[in-house]
Amino acid sequence: MTSVGTGYDLSNSVFSPDGRNFQVEYASKAVENGSTTVGLKCKDGVVFGVEKIIANKLLVPGKNRKIQTIDRHIGCCYSGLIPDGKHLVNRGREEATNFRNTYGKPIPVSAMSERLSQYVQAYTLYNSVRPFGISTIFGGVLKTENGGDNKPELFMLDPNGSCWGYKGIATGKGRQTAKAELEKLITSETFDFSTLSAKQAVEEVARIIYLAHEDNKDKDFELELSWCSLSETNGFHKYVPEEVYNEAVENAKSAVGLADSDESGEEDMEVDAQ
Amino acid sequence: MNGISTDIQHLKKGEVNLGTSIMAVTFKDGVILGADSRTSTGAYIANRVTDKLTRLQDHIWCCRSGSAADTQAVADIVQYHLNLYKMQFDQDADVKTAASLLKSLTYENKDQLSAGLIVAGFDKQNKKGEVYSIPLGGSLHKQPYAIAGSGSTFIYGYCNKNFKEDMSREETIDFMKHSLSQAIKWDGSSGGVIRMVVLTDNGLERLIFYPEDYENL
Amino acid sequence: MNHDPYSWGRPSDAMYGQYNNAIANAPNTLEHHSSGSNFNENTTRPIVTGTSVIAIKYKTGVVIAADNLASYGSLLRFQGIERLHKVGKTTVVGISGDVSDMQHLLTILDQLEMENNYDNDEYSDNVDELQPSYIFEYLANLMYHRRSKMNPLWNALIVSGVDSKTGKPFLEYVNLLGVKYASPSIATGFGSHLAIPLLRKLADSEEEAAELTLEQAKKGIKDSMKVLFYRDTRSSKNYSLAVIDKDTGIAYDNNVDVEDMSWKFAKDITGYGTQRV
Repeated sequence: MTSVGTGYDLSNSVFSPDGRNFQVEYASKAVENGSTTVGLKCKDGVVFGVEKIIANKLLVPGKNRKIQTIDRHIGCCYSGLIPDGKHLVNRGREEATNFRNTYGKPIPVSAMSERLSQYVQAYTLYNSVRPFGISTIFGGVLKTENGGDNKPELFMLDPNGSCWGYKGIATGKGRQTAKAELEKLITSETFDFSTLSAKQAVEEVARIIYLAHEDNKDKDFELELSWCSLSETNGFHKYVPEEVYNEAVENAKSAVGLADSDESGEEDMEVDAQ
Repeated sequence: MNGISTDIQHLKKGEVNLGTSIMAVTFKDGVILGADSRTSTGAYIANRVTDKLTRLQDHIWCCRSGSAADTQAVADIVQYHLNLYKMQFDQDADVKTAASLLKSLTYENKDQLSAGLIVAGFDKQNKKGEVYSIPLGGSLHKQPYAIAGSGSTFIYGYCNKNFKEDMSREETIDFMKHSLSQAIKWDGSSGGVIRMVVLTDNGLERLIFYPEDYENL
Repeated sequence: MNHDPYSWGRPSDAMYGQYNNAIANAPNTLEHHSSGSNFNENTTRPIVTGTSVIAIKYKTGVVIAADNLASYGSLLRFQGIERLHKVGKTTVVGISGDVSDMQHLLTILDQLEMENNYDNDEYSDNVDELQPSYIFEYLANLMYHRRSKMNPLWNALIVSGVDSKTGKPFLEYVNLLGVKYASPSIATGFGSHLAIPLLRKLADSEEEAAELTLEQAKKGIKDSMKVLFYRDTRSSKNYSLAVIDKDTGIAYDNNVDVEDMSWKFAKDITGYGTQRV
């Protein structure tokens, strides 16, 4: 960052002479150190995974959930500044309510992506505000009977307000590894989205998060998994049930070569949450 | 509170009234809307060849009853919203969405408006006709068929007895012609010609029946 | 301070004679009305309406019923309109009165339920589900708020259910004025005249209601619905019946018909006075 200290990085709404908005770029820095977050589409839904670093031993295991629900059929997770994410989710909920009240049906995920990105983009325009310090992965599936098309959608929204649709995407600290793994998975010859079940996608996401955590091995973490699928959750966004969760975590551990006894604490999570 | 007469009392002085017979019926291939063509101010017929069937989108139409001014204003607003919807989301709005917009407008302005509407359209997703009734207060009712307006009171029994689900196009037109014919016969505020709009997967078709066609069925 | 000279008081009539309001188009009163009719008219009457809702508590829950009809004046216009609505896991709200306002209430309740579930599914931090008492208090506030704005929701509501933590039956009423009360048996509209006497015969106090069996309560409700169908011109034979029990949850049947009516005696009733044939 050669232009640091030239004064052009102090405010939104002022470009540097070479056409950059530094505040927004700094916001992306906040994301790069955030917890690894993964989203993956499957044949009838989407799956989310978050690596939650245990910052403090006093935190209650299994509580302090990070994945949130925007509308019944839209899940959301983000890395970066958590409170920024919570605020954005609240805005998303307002948009969902608004849409439902005017059009008499739930908001399609693509419409939600438009509205959220407009909102985030507005925070790059004025010097009285700072940009959102998060990259947000959200998605879901809207059933035909609710006015949708039964097709899963997945998006990632960046601090500058740009929002793209993905088959699978990752953000946060372990994004390099995770994205490489997703690419390897999706581009492999045997891979076919039309056959990838939600359960298989959960396995993949769990494995990828464990793999991405390898670079950050010294820190303990909890894995959070949620899904929104026609077959598994009837189109609702929900946390994955205990059995599916445990199985995915077991397989993920053996995939990255972690003996079962090495780790402790993770499995307790669901039990404690009851 | 006598349903139909309150409609008229609610009109402002000198206001034009669609003291109407309107209906919409789902059938095997879609939905058909039908209406008489009389508009009156008190006892005088202000327009004897009115078109009470109004386009909201190519595949969504509505039948209007109550104040002509109110229902035209409301229909125009909904038409605008649906056009905007189409541009924004790059797809046609559902019939449900159109009905929901119309309902919100009538419900939230119930004290200013006298509008009794029927929304009907062809649902492209399910390949089916849909009918929603929105009476005075602004409630929303999904129905296999709906009748409304002052003339409808005379044909509740007839329609209830003779309506069948999944009729053919010809059967449905026949059913509607008979129903509206009776409504026009007994209701002084209904008359003129019978207009119909047929909405199917193949688009829309307009029909018209003159007094000599329907009076002696 | 009001700087309008008309508000400062004026010379006494006894001394100076009556004030001439024609001067400077002075108003006759000190109050000012903006609209021509002096009042801002909001919902002044219901249009499409549902009739009575009735409910009674029993040992381990509540039984509630309402017919499936929406009337348009005396026209029985819409059949198959459900007026009992499940909210959360252990609550049923019964709504009588204006149907457009009922539908408005339903979108509000749906929103309430969704907001409660956002961060509240079975695994998350704050495991607290909607209780009937929460829903009632919310609705009662809403109804009072709307009437205070001179724009009431033209309904009478009965909130019934069981508290999922204590297992205690819950039954309470609120109407368009914001008036609320609780009782072992509650009814709205015609039901408060015709059904309440029958239901009070079953249980006149909380103590007696706590002794009632489900069968007794159900029979009381069914008999009351029959009487209402006999004597309420805006009622229908077809109705919905919900049982909310602390052990078995909500059992909801939206297609019950009035049964065992007695009409045969009509044969023996001829003429009206002294006529005997």
